[in-house]
Amino acid sequence: MSTTQHTSRTPARNWLALATGRNLAYLMMLLGAAALAVTGLGWLLFGKAAITGWVLMLHVGSAPLFAVGLALVALTWAGRSGAGAGGLLFWLVLAGGWMVLLTGVVPMTPLCGTDGQRTLASLHRYSAIVLTAVVALHLLRLAAVNRRSPGA
Amino acid sequence: MKAETFGVETRVPVQNDSTFWRKKAPCAVVLALMLASAPSGTAAENLKTESRMPFLHHIPLRDAEGRMISLPPLFDAQGKPQEAAANPYSTAQTCGKCHEYDIIGRGWHFNSAKEDIKPGRPGEPWILTDPVTRTQVPLSYRGWAGTFKPAEIGMSDFDFITTFARHLPGGGVGEPPKDKIDANDVRMRRFLVTGVMEVDCLICHDSSGHYDHDSRFRAMGMENIRWAPSIAAGLGTLGFAKSGKAAADQWRPPNPVPADPPLLKYDRARQGMENHTTFNVARQRLASSCYYCHTAESRTGDARWHSDGDVHIRAGMSCVDCHRNSLDHMVVRGYEGELGNRAVNAGMVEWRAKLIRRNDAAVSEADAKRLAEQQVKDEMGMVETLTCRGCHYGSESAKQATARMGGRLGAPAPVHKGLPPVHLEKLSCTACHSGPFPGAAAGAVHTSLAHKLGLPAPARTDNTPPVIVQPVFLRGQDGRIAPHRMVWPAYWGHLNQGKMTPLLPAEVSKLARAKFPMLTSADMMRDPYNSKPLTNQQISDVLGALSGEASKGQAVFVAAGKLYRLDNGKLISEEHAAAKPYAWPLAHDVRPAGQALGVRGCADCHSLDSPIYFGTVTPRGPVEASHVTAKPMWTLRGDNKTLASTFAFTFLFRPMLKCVCFSSALAILAVLLAFGLGALYTRLNNRKP
Repeated sequence: MSTTQHTSRTPARNWLALATGRNLAYLMMLLGAAALAVTGLGWLLFGKAAITGWVLMLHVGSAPLFAVGLALVALTWAGRSGAGAGGLLFWLVLAGGWMVLLTGVVPMTPLCGTDGQRTLASLHRYSAIVLTAVVALHLLRLAAVNRRSPGA
Repeated sequence: MKAETFGVETRVPVQNDSTFWRKKAPCAVVLALMLASAPSGTAAENLKTESRMPFLHHIPLRDAEGRMISLPPLFDAQGKPQEAAANPYSTAQTCGKCHEYDIIGRGWHFNSAKEDIKPGRPGEPWILTDPVTRTQVPLSYRGWAGTFKPAEIGMSDFDFITTFARHLPGGGVGEPPKDKIDANDVRMRRFLVTGVMEVDCLICHDSSGHYDHDSRFRAMGMENIRWAPSIAAGLGTLGFAKSGKAAADQWRPPNPVPADPPLLKYDRARQGMENHTTFNVARQRLASSCYYCHTAESRTGDARWHSDGDVHIRAGMSCVDCHRNSLDHMVVRGYEGELGNRAVNAGMVEWRAKLIRRNDAAVSEADAKRLAEQQVKDEMGMVETLTCRGCHYGSESAKQATARMGGRLGAPAPVHKGLPPVHLEKLSCTACHSGPFPGAAAGAVHTSLAHKLGLPAPARTDNTPPVIVQPVFLRGQDGRIAPHRMVWPAYWGHLNQGKMTPLLPAEVSKLARAKFPMLTSADMMRDPYNSKPLTNQQISDVLGALSGEASKGQAVFVAAGKLYRLDNGKLISEEHAAAKPYAWPLAHDVRPAGQALGVRGCADCHSLDSPIYFGTVTPRGPVEASHVTAKPMWTLRGDNKTLASTFAFTFLFRPMLKCVCFSSALAILAVLLAFGLGALYTRLNNRKP
């Protein structure tokens, strides 16, 4: 993320260079997060009380994509995350994603009662809003860095 | 009440001899003063024990005229034995002496025909059943959609109460004011001879276990309406006296109403000192009292000892612990949203104000009304706490702090581990906890009101009409999925410009008796309830016989969810609104948490064969099986099958999803901890000199 290598490549070679494992992992996480945000936070935009039916199925179906993507991002990006704003955003993505993941999956187990489930649902909702914002900022920062140093 | 109206004659022995006056004169003066100061009508005396200990009801009996019943001495002046004959006792006069009979008479069990009472959530109807014509018509005075009011099918109030007297507690339409009885109405005028059907308090409040429902049923069958409460209470019998029915059959206006109705032959052993009778009554009725009318038995074909019954009853509670009522007897039905159906009306305030003023004459009329309004409103808040949720979780609308907290009577706060809260919004508590554990198909259930449970009769089977099935998972009026009982109307009738008019069995028999299959005695022995379906030919024949008068409309037969009619002599069947089943929510027996739906996991409901979605419901009625098609429950609710089955299908992958998510979360946590602790370690090391 805060990689500052300067290389001169053609656009085609730039795309190939992007298709590395860590970038694919990031892309996977990004797609999952986008699907989850659209299906999950749609309630906020459309004023729906809770997601149900097909939307819920899409939401739950997108979760593994995000989960695996985020885990791979954690494993492949953590060592090169560096410090500064980019690093902070990265660790926030990981922490927020972990929270969203856990608060999404624990209610599927017989660990929490109704009160616990409601707390988890609230945590899931608010951490998802934060995560969406942080992922968006992280993506913007990546794009900015990439514009300054193409191929990064 | 005048003798010419209700046939009560003054020759009845009453306690007006000199001995009585000598012994009781002072009391009588006090009584007279109290009565004089009491409001008019059947106002009760303002005497209270104010104790939790039940009052011993060792009380004098009173007849319909309010006179104390005094049995003649065992021997007359000549030494001859005398029969203990006297008028039957009247609950309105005997119980009403201390309890506000008029107010009680407005209670839920008696008020179905009152205009100012909201019908509330649909409940079990009375089902007019006739084995010969295969009629089963859901009836209710409350006007629940899918039921008929008796008058709509040409049934008089008198016929209604005599048909269902076996389980009717009296009051309401059974007790018409004497000035409302039309002597020209050949059915209603019978009340003038048989007496009206007063609220029989002992049906519910007897705690001796000696209340004889069977004797009452037989007495009512003979239209001995006036005498039935006394007979059922074991006070006496009518012996070989002429029945009320025979007397009513013989009476013709303008002749005067028979003035010498038979006297009840009292059991002297029940009469204590000074002609007082002891009644073993209780305010808190036992569940067994309620079960006479409210039994629902789904263990047809299964041994009774296999069942556990309702978990609340097993825990030592009684029905009335939740289904409570104040003096007005507006029993809490206990469903969510009931509050909206029990709006405070002028009648309730009026009666409460009357009670307040009875208890404290110093309160002005206006103050009493204000206070009454407040009291009734406060009590409304209590209603919501007597639902499943209200009792187990508490209710914000309650005035009492303890009722807001929940846990009434030790009700455990539900934990519902692993159950996403959305289920509590989409399902009623009963969906998971009530009725028999659902299977692949809804099964038959017998109820007291429909199958005369509580009265001796040949064994009822799954095919005994009217066939009622449960649990059928439908959406209730609050939009939540809840288990229901369901019955399909079956009747002959006329369809005229879209208006359906069912025919009473007697009319059908009159017009087409010969078209119905004759039952041999062997048939009756084998199938006493005549559950054999009608063939297409038999239906056609009867329809043909009913098609005499074109002005009445087209003759039709409604059964098992379809309407049958003749089209150019050919029998056709079709879906029709009139043939739709009538359903009402069930709430008991409640199963414990360990046997709730979902306790085995999500797949109890979210699987490709789950009862709540894919359990089937087969229309039942007196037609051949080829006419009916089983429907899955999602169809009855109007749900989306693709959505339901796809959602259920996704649960096959749920374990995998959990595995992936937990593994990922673990990996992320490991990275966070490794780098976080590493960074901390580095920072701490860098600080060292």
